[in-house]
Amino acid sequence: MTETSSMAPAQAEPGSETLAVRASGVDRAFGGVQALRDASFAARPGEIHALAGENGAGKSTLIKVLCGLIKADKGTVEIFGTEVSRVVEPAARRRMGVATAFQELSLLPDLTVAENLLLQDPPRGRLGLVQRRRLAPAAEEILNRYGVDDIDPRATAADLSVAQRQVVELVRVLAGEPRVVILDEPTAALADRQVDWLAGHMRRLRDAGSCVIFTSHRWREIESLADRVTVFRNGTHVATRDTLSEAEAVTLMSGRSFAGAYPQITTEPTDDNALSVTNLHSGRLAGVDFDLRRGEILGVGGLAGQGQRDLFLSLFGAQRVRRGTIAVDGKAVTIRSPKDAIRAGVGIAYVPEDRKAEGLFLPLSIRDNIAAATLSRRATAGFVNRGKERAVVKSIVDQLNIGAGRSTNRAADTLSGGNQQKVVMARWLLTEARILLLFDVTRGVDAATKHDIYELVGTLAAQGRAILYYSSETEEIAHLCHRVLVLREGRVAAELAGPVGDAERIVAASIKEGQDA
Amino acid sequence: MRDALRRVSLGYLVLAATAVAYIVVYTSRLGRFPTSFDYLSILNTTLPLVFVAIGQSLVVLTGGIDLSVGGMVSVCVAVTATTVSSSITWLFVVLAIGTACGALNGLIVAYGRIAPILTTLATLSIFTGLGLRVLPVPGGSIPQEVRLVLTNPATPTGLIWLGLAVAGWLVLRRTRFGMRVYAIGSDEASARAVGVPAAAVKLKVYALSGLCSALAAVFYVSTTTSGDANAGNPFILTSIASVVVGGVAFSGGRGSALGAVAGAVALTLVIDILFFSGIDPLYQSLFQGLFLVVAVLLGTVAALAARRRRQA
Amino acid sequence: MSSRRVLYALGGTVAVLLVGAILHPGFASWSSLRVMLVVASFTGFVAAGQMLVVLVGGIDLSIPWVLNGAAIVLTTSSLGQTSRAPLAILLALGVGALVGLGNGMGVAWLGVPAVVMTLGMNGVMQGLTLGLSKGLTCASCGSYAPEPLRGLFDGALPAQLFLWAGVGLFMTVLLTLTTFGRRVYAVGVNPRAAFLSGVGVRGVTVALYTLSGVFAALAGIALVAYGGQPSLGLGDPYLFESIAAVVVGGVSILGGRGHYLGVIAGSLTLVAVTTFLQAQRVPEYGRLMIYGLVILAILFAYGREKAHD
Repeated sequence: MTETSSMAPAQAEPGSETLAVRASGVDRAFGGVQALRDASFAARPGEIHALAGENGAGKSTLIKVLCGLIKADKGTVEIFGTEVSRVVEPAARRRMGVATAFQELSLLPDLTVAENLLLQDPPRGRLGLVQRRRLAPAAEEILNRYGVDDIDPRATAADLSVAQRQVVELVRVLAGEPRVVILDEPTAALADRQVDWLAGHMRRLRDAGSCVIFTSHRWREIESLADRVTVFRNGTHVATRDTLSEAEAVTLMSGRSFAGAYPQITTEPTDDNALSVTNLHSGRLAGVDFDLRRGEILGVGGLAGQGQRDLFLSLFGAQRVRRGTIAVDGKAVTIRSPKDAIRAGVGIAYVPEDRKAEGLFLPLSIRDNIAAATLSRRATAGFVNRGKERAVVKSIVDQLNIGAGRSTNRAADTLSGGNQQKVVMARWLLTEARILLLFDVTRGVDAATKHDIYELVGTLAAQGRAILYYSSETEEIAHLCHRVLVLREGRVAAELAGPVGDAERIVAASIKEGQDA
Repeated sequence: MRDALRRVSLGYLVLAATAVAYIVVYTSRLGRFPTSFDYLSILNTTLPLVFVAIGQSLVVLTGGIDLSVGGMVSVCVAVTATTVSSSITWLFVVLAIGTACGALNGLIVAYGRIAPILTTLATLSIFTGLGLRVLPVPGGSIPQEVRLVLTNPATPTGLIWLGLAVAGWLVLRRTRFGMRVYAIGSDEASARAVGVPAAAVKLKVYALSGLCSALAAVFYVSTTTSGDANAGNPFILTSIASVVVGGVAFSGGRGSALGAVAGAVALTLVIDILFFSGIDPLYQSLFQGLFLVVAVLLGTVAALAARRRRQA
Repeated sequence: MSSRRVLYALGGTVAVLLVGAILHPGFASWSSLRVMLVVASFTGFVAAGQMLVVLVGGIDLSIPWVLNGAAIVLTTSSLGQTSRAPLAILLALGVGALVGLGNGMGVAWLGVPAVVMTLGMNGVMQGLTLGLSKGLTCASCGSYAPEPLRGLFDGALPAQLFLWAGVGLFMTVLLTLTTFGRRVYAVGVNPRAAFLSGVGVRGVTVALYTLSGVFAALAGIALVAYGGQPSLGLGDPYLFESIAAVVVGGVSILGGRGHYLGVIAGSLTLVAVTTFLQAQRVPEYGRLMIYGLVILAILFAYGREKAHD
C-alpha cells in the first residue's frame, strides 16, 4: 500500500488496523469539471467520521464513488481491505454491508413507504411470493423499531413532506444494521428533534462497531457528533483531524482565513420603491407584504421551506399567484410568465439555485447560454444578429471573467461550477433587469467565485438595481443585506435591519414562538 | 400506490363503459342480448392483443417502449403456422424463440445503453425479416386439437387462458422482481442507488415481453387458423393503445398490466360497437383514435383534479 | 459535439456508397445516385418534421396518415388539372398544418404524451381518409396529380432535388440563424430552464408539431406526384423510416441535439442500403434484417446513452 502525500498524520498507520473504507488517488470528472482530483479518504470501524468541505468540494462525488454508484476514473477503493474499484453496482456494496443515504437520489416517488423500505427484502410467504398484505405491518414494525410513529407506511412517497421522506430514507439505511453507513447531508431537511433522533442512532451504530460517515454543513453537528473530521477542498483531501475548531475548519475548507469573508456593504439604498408586494398568496405564501427599494439588497431568511422559493418564483411569473398585487416602480403589473417578467417595462430577473436543472443548457455553447433570455433584443425579423451577439456576450464574459478568456463556443458543461453560475448571472445581467431575484446563487460554487459574486451583488446595488437575496447559508444574508425579511409559514415573521452580522439573530427570529420545525 | 389504483380503475371504467355501450348497441340493433357465442368470439379475438398488451405494459412500467412486439409476433406466427402441425412440441420452441427475441432487446437496452424506442425499432425490422424468411407467403395451418384447447369456438377455453394470464400477472406483481419493475420505472437512478440491479431486471422485462408476443402469436394462429408474416404489425400500435387506455403511465412506475388487459378488451369492443351501430367500417380507426385520446385526456383530468384536491 | 455526429452520419453515407460502388460497379454513378436521391428526398421531407419534434423530446406517429391524407386531398381537389394545382397544394399542406396544430395543442396544452396524441391522431386521419374517400373508391379518387407536379421528377437534374435542397436550406436557416431555432434547442435541452429564460415553451412546441404536419403533407404531395396516383398505405413505410433517418442522422432521441444536414445524410444512407441490397438481389426478408442490423450498428457507433452517473 502506497501512502499518498495528502494523507494527514492521523491516518499514518493504515497497516495497524483494518480500515472500513479506504479510497486513494481517486480522480473523477463530469464533462469538463474535475470533481475529484487525486482524492484520498479513510475511515475506521467504530468511528463517526465527518466529511467536511464547501459546496462543490467533491464530498457528494466521493460518496457516490464509495458506495458504487459511479466509477472512479482513476484510483482505488477498498471496503474492509477488499478492493472494489471496478465494481460499479450499489447492490454489490450493499451485500458487503455498505448502506448509503443520498442527498438527492432518495425514495422512489411512486412506491409506498412500505415498498420503499422493504424493496430489497420484502416479507415472503410460501412459494417465495411477496405478501403484499404484510408489507405495511412489516414496515410499520421497522419504523416503530426506530422510534418513528408519525409516518403512514401505506402513503406514497411522493406525498410525504421533505423531512418525512428523509426520515424514511434514513430508516431504510439504518434498518439493514450496516457495517458502513454513509449519510450525505442527512440533517439538511430535518428538524432539531429529528436530528437528535438520528444522532442517537449514529452513536449506537458506532458503539456496535460500525463505521459511520456523514457530511453536514452545520458545524455544530460535526463538532458534537464526529470522532474525526476529514476536510475536502477543490476535489481533494486537505486534512484529517481528531479535533478541529470551527475557525480552523473554515480556513481549511475555503483556503483562506475566516475574517473578511464578506465584503462590507458600502452603499445605501435610495428611497424609491422598485418593487412593492401586497398580500401575496402563492404556493405556501399566505399574505406577504414588503417593499424593495432601488439600490437595496433585501435578504430573505427563515428555515428551509417557509415559502422562500414560492416568493421568488411567483414574483417571476413562474408560479401561479392566487391573490395579491405586485407593483413595479409604483405601477401594478400582471406577470403571468417569465416572459412577462423579463419584458423591458417590468425588468425582473431570476437567478435560480439549481443551475443544472433550472439555469443551464449544458450541451449548448457558453454564448447560447448567455444569450438565451435576450434573443429577440438582438434580432431583426426573427434572425439573430450574430455579430452583435458575439460582441455583447464577449463584453459580459470579460466583465465577469468567465472561463479564463477561452472560446465562448465551448459547451457550458466544460466549465467549473463557479463559472457555470457566472454564465447564468451573465444571462440575466444582459436583460438589464432593474430587479434581480437571486435565489441561493452561491450554492455549490468555490470560494473565489463566491467572493466575486458578493462583489458583483454589491456593484449591482450600487448601480441602483433592487436585489432580493436568498441563501441557504444564513451567514451570507446576515452580512450582505441591507435589510432581512424572515419568512415563517408563508408570512413575513420579522424584519431585521442590516447588516445583521450575527446569523444567530436570523435563526432566532425564524424559530420564535416555540416552533420546533 | 393510491394514485396507481386510481389510474387502473380508470382503465376499468373505460372497459365498463364500452361494455355497456356494446350491449346497448347490440341489443337495439338485433333485438336480443348478445349470446355466449358473441362473448366467446370477442374473447378469442382479443386474446392475442391481451398477451401483447401485458408484455407491453411491463416494458412501459419500466419507462421503456417495445416497438418490436410486431416483429416478434410475426416471427412466432410464422414458426407456429409452419411447424406445429408436424409436432406439438414446436409450441414450446415458439415460446423460446419469442423469449430469446425479447432477451436480445433487453440486452441491447440494458447493457448496450441504446434507447428502447430505437433498439426495438431496429429489431422490429430484423424480426419481421426473420418472419418473412420462415413464411414468405401467408399460409400454414394449426392442428384442430390445438385449436380446441386454445380457442375453442364452442366452449370457453379462452376464459381459462385469460384467467391464467391474469393470474400470471398477479403472481409476478407479488415477486421481488415485480416490485423492482415498479422501482425502476419510478426512478431508475434512485432504484439503482438503493441496490436494484436495474440492468438485469430490464433484461428480464424485455424477455417477458417477447414471451408474451410468442403466446399472442400462438393464439393468433389458433383463431385465424393460418399464418401471415405481417400478422404482427397491427399489434405495435394497438398494444401501446391498450396500455395507454389501461392507465399505465408512459413515464413508468404507475399502472398495472390488468389495466392494459382491460384496455385491450375495450379496444376490441369499440370495433364491435362500431360494427353494430352500422358505422362504415372505414371510419373504424377514426373512432379508435378518438377513443385513445379521449381516454387519456380523461385520465389526465382525473389526475389533475386529484392533485388539486390534495393541495387544497 | 452534435456537429461531430453530422460528420459521422455523412461518413456513414460515403461508406455505404463506397462499399456499394466496389461490390456493384455503377452503384455510385450519377444515374443511380439520382434515383437514390429522389427516393431519399421523400424520407428527407418526413424526417425534417420528425426531427423538429424529436428536437424537443417529442415524436410524431401521425406521419403515415397525414401523408396519405394529404396525397389524396391533392389529387381529389386538383382533379389532375393544372389550373387547380396551386389551390390543391395549399389545401393539402393546410390539412397537414391543421393536424400538426392539433397534435401540438394536445401535447403542449393538454399535456397528452406525444406518443398517445400523435398515435390517436394517426387513427383519426386514417379513419377520415378512408371514410371520406370511401376506401379510395370515390368519384374523384381516380384522379392523377396535375402535370406540373409530375414534372418534378423529369430531367437529368430533377426539380424535386432542388425542392429538397430548399427544405434543407429552410431547416438549416431556421434552426441555426433564427431566434426560433435557438429556442427550439433550448427547449429540447432543458425545458424548465427555457421557460425560466422567457421562452414560450408551449408556443414553440405547437409550432414544431405544426411544421411536422406540413412536412408530412409535403412528402405526400411529392409521393403522389412521383407515383401519379395516390394509394392506401402510401405513408406506412415512412413512420419508422423517418425516425430511423433522424437517429442515423445523429439527432439525439432525447432532444436538443442534431442538425438537418445529418438527417439528409441519414435519409441517403438508409436509401443507399436498401438500394444496394436490391441491386444485390437480396430477398425482402434479408433486406429487412440487414436494414435493422445496419441501424443497430449505427446506434452502437454513436447513439448510445451516457453511462450511469
